[in-house]
Amino acid sequence: MCPSPRGRPAGDVRVFVVEDHPVLRGVVRLACEHTDGLALAGEAATGEEAVEGCRTTRPDVVVLDLSLPGDLQGLDVARALRSEGTAGRILVLTGRTDDEAVFAAIRVGADGYLEKTAGVRFIADALLRVAAGERVFTAKQERIARSQLGEMARRTRESSDVRAVLTQRELQILELLSRGVTVKQVATRLGLSPRTVETHISKLYRKLGVRNRVQAVSKATAIGLVELS
Amino acid sequence: MASRPTLERAQPSRSPKRRLGVVLVDPLPVVRAGLALLIDERPDMDVVLEAGTAEEALEGLGRIRQRSIVVLIGLGLEGEQDAYWLMRAIRERHPGLAILGCGARADAMSISRALFMGADGYVDKNADPLGFLQALRDAADGEMVLVGPPSEWVREIAQGLERRREVQTKLTDRERQVLRVAAEGLTAREIGDRLGVRERTVTTHLGRIYAKLGVGTRVAAVRVANVSGLVTAGSLE
Repeated sequence: MCPSPRGRPAGDVRVFVVEDHPVLRGVVRLACEHTDGLALAGEAATGEEAVEGCRTTRPDVVVLDLSLPGDLQGLDVARALRSEGTAGRILVLTGRTDDEAVFAAIRVGADGYLEKTAGVRFIADALLRVAAGERVFTAKQERIARSQLGEMARRTRESSDVRAVLTQRELQILELLSRGVTVKQVATRLGLSPRTVETHISKLYRKLGVRNRVQAVSKATAIGLVELS
Repeated sequence: MASRPTLERAQPSRSPKRRLGVVLVDPLPVVRAGLALLIDERPDMDVVLEAGTAEEALEGLGRIRQRSIVVLIGLGLEGEQDAYWLMRAIRERHPGLAILGCGARADAMSISRALFMGADGYVDKNADPLGFLQALRDAADGEMVLVGPPSEWVREIAQGLERRREVQTKLTDRERQVLRVAAEGLTAREIGDRLGVRERTVTTHLGRIYAKLGVGTRVAAVRVANVSGLVTAGSLE
């Protein structure tokens, strides 16, 4: 890409910024205006606006905040953009610095990850690099992603091991329990006597290596055996 | 959650340098010899066992008393007791050992499978020697190692794990059985014959499988089964 002296020739990287904070939005806008090769394609303050805006503007790079007001969070937006194919590359710009956020961003297909406090002054450089096909992650972030992947493998393994020893009935009961259904209600729903349900539950606890319902649900959720909806 | 106990802490700090013991498992003697040469040259590690089969490896591991061990398993180990089977077996019998899969440009699916079966990481034979050796040290320190594959593969490998989890937890045993046979390309009728159920029952099962996996066609379901390791990893059950 050749740098353009002035104006917005067709060769510029078109940037769409998704950020609810007006000041940060302004920073990205300024970076685009003052950097050769970058042009602002659009702005959005909510996830819904972002998905809609990218449909019409088809930007090369989306700068994406992970925490947004409204129902659609940053990760949901990334997923939507990826499945619709309405964004070339995604650069996450976020205040979240926890390991889970970094890993989650990578899993939805982010091409770069900038922390707001440390990274925003590198935004122009990061945008150009991401647009050129580079991945913009620090060595620390890559390491975090690997270790999270290892954790995920461990959990997946454990969940599959536990699943292998549970009967279909026990799994069914576990799912109902984790939705907060009482033993009596479980019995009614499955057409069993409460006593039978109790028997299933005690076997279930033994297999999970837990002593009560709270532990059972938290263990099952932790290893991904049941999902909290 | 408590991970593998850190090996060095368990040992009295008698020697300043903790030596790392490496177990080489690979069907090819030349590969083992090459790796042994590279490793034995280092002052901080040596090869404590070489094995050409899973059986030899397990037998040898039973005799090793050293605490700090990395088991390097070549993905080329095939047969009934293949590399993945061995990873699972070691994870169960010797939970304290670090296990690394080792291959030549393995794809994301194979790596995903290795991690699922019990590996603490993967190192490629095409890595530069220093990076390769560092991977062994990092694995011994309890780090998750991925040396060789481009870092964007983390996403694909994670997807493989996620699919595995879905197939393992969402489908019933019967549904998994049906899906595995369906992956061979049999018709509903043939599947029914194989499993001793009516064709109608098979189509009902298939319908439920599609719904649970969020797919619309048999081909898509089979693809999920492949990615999830259901088809390739018969040893899972």
